[in-house]
Amino acid sequence: MFGQGLLKGLQITLQELFTKKVTVQYPEESLPLAPRFHGEFVLDVEQCIACSLCANACPNKVIEIETAKLDKKRVLTGYMMRLQYCLFCGLCVEACNKGAIRFSQKFEMAKYFRDQIPLILYKGEPPVQEEQGNTGITAGEAEGTEV
Amino acid sequence: MLRTEEITLNMGPQHPSTHGVFHVVLKMDHEVITEARPICGYLHRGIEKLAEARTYTQFIPYTDRLDYLAAMLNNTGYVQAVEKLMEIEVPERAEYIRVICCELSRIASHLIAVGTYSVDIGGITGFMYCLRDRERIMDLFEMVCGSRLTLSYMRIGGVAEDLPDEFIPALCQFLDEMPSRLDEYDGLITGNEIFQARTKHVGLLDPGVAINYGISGPNLRASGVFWDLRKNRPYSVYDRFDFEVPLGKRGDCFDRFTCRIKEMRQSLKIIRQAVEQLPEGPVMAKVPKVLKPPAGDVYHEIEGAKGILGYYVVSDGSNKPYRIHVRRPSFINLGFLNELCKGWKIADVVAILGSLDIVLGEVDC
Ligand code: SF4
Ligand code: SF4
Repeated sequence: MFGQGLLKGLQITLQELFTKKVTVQYPEESLPLAPRFHGEFVLDVEQCIACSLCANACPNKVIEIETAKLDKKRVLTGYMMRLQYCLFCGLCVEACNKGAIRFSQKFEMAKYFRDQIPLILYKGEPPVQEEQGNTGITAGEAEGTEV
Repeated sequence: MLRTEEITLNMGPQHPSTHGVFHVVLKMDHEVITEARPICGYLHRGIEKLAEARTYTQFIPYTDRLDYLAAMLNNTGYVQAVEKLMEIEVPERAEYIRVICCELSRIASHLIAVGTYSVDIGGITGFMYCLRDRERIMDLFEMVCGSRLTLSYMRIGGVAEDLPDEFIPALCQFLDEMPSRLDEYDGLITGNEIFQARTKHVGLLDPGVAINYGISGPNLRASGVFWDLRKNRPYSVYDRFDFEVPLGKRGDCFDRFTCRIKEMRQSLKIIRQAVEQLPEGPVMAKVPKVLKPPAGDVYHEIEGAKGILGYYVVSDGSNKPYRIHVRRPSFINLGFLNELCKGWKIADVVAILGSLDIVLGEVDC
């Protein structure tokens, strides 16, 4: 009989009316994010050894690292990400041996003006570093990997 | 019949049913199409050229941006090409994870194809139902790799990370619920008489012609040609799974549509088997930090969501590819559009173009 398919469709939509809603009223509620979610970046300045591995791993030259020499040791003086070019691929996070650069769960990154987009994760005086663990080796490595 | 003056109509570049920035110049006699000239290139980003300035690993995120509806498949095709060139053996577990992710990606891509096709024909409801379920696949991907659309999950030699603990239970739940959802689409879209009237016997694609034009994927199989690389030339571990290749009979729009729904059922079957057989072990082969494939070239093709997806990689022995070319199925499937549209009414152009399931990121590269 012609029209049977239409009735079937109506029956399905009617059934759907009584199931649980899947819509989330976003700004008021939000869904839980996966632990691995690729959100905004956070930098653990204490951990970062300014080796530039992350900057070299990036396909789009997003990361700009400024360093300074302090008692023959390379220290971080600036860490800036041009987020407008970022692909959120995670290659930088994967490249970091120290786990210094990580993704956070923050995804609301929209800005009103273009000059607000670059994400400055560190800027300023070289951090005073107490721990002396692997500085000898990493300073050598850093020389080799510098761009 | 009275012949009237031929008129030219631009469909696109901004037109909702071209699924992106795609332009067709239609020449019409009355409402009948006499020529449909596709113009592409509005989304050209020069991805093949960009590859030459990136290392082998750094190119992976760019493959996501080809067919952004099935990013896992694009990743896989590329990394397998490089693995073939470097003769890297991928661990078993990684192969199975790849299969699971690829088939999920195929379902996600077909859900968009099925849903948008329903919109093209005029049924908004079907689209909503498809997107509701696709969202769950996106959630699964988010668990695995942190991204929802541009996944960059595959690595040369394996996958980026092992599956998280919560993934398999969530996947099993999805596998249990999905078949009934597919029945819903059949009830909502496939069984709808208006939909059938618009798509059956429209845009017939002859199998011989389809082969000559290099058309592949569900579009080719809808014409009744048994050609699925997962069966005909198994790559990865696809030879270990038991699944069928759905074929169409007439090669019309309706067959192309139903082929995709049937393929989703087969993909679910493959995923279920892969989950059962999933071995333990590492997910990454031992590969050097800096990849320098030996000088030479390689061509590798896989069965993508839209058709045969091939990567041609030329290496000059350095850490950057000398040249990469991608055989993009959407682009090649479009080649026959003119012939396919000739003689049909203007409303059928939308039905025919939608049934080919193109994605403009892949057409333009
Ligand atoms: S790779 Fe890690 S430790 Fe090295 S500069 Fe980047 S964030 Fe710092
Ligand atoms: S996520 Fe990718 S594109 Fe963004 S900074 Fe890291 S490596 Fe670069």
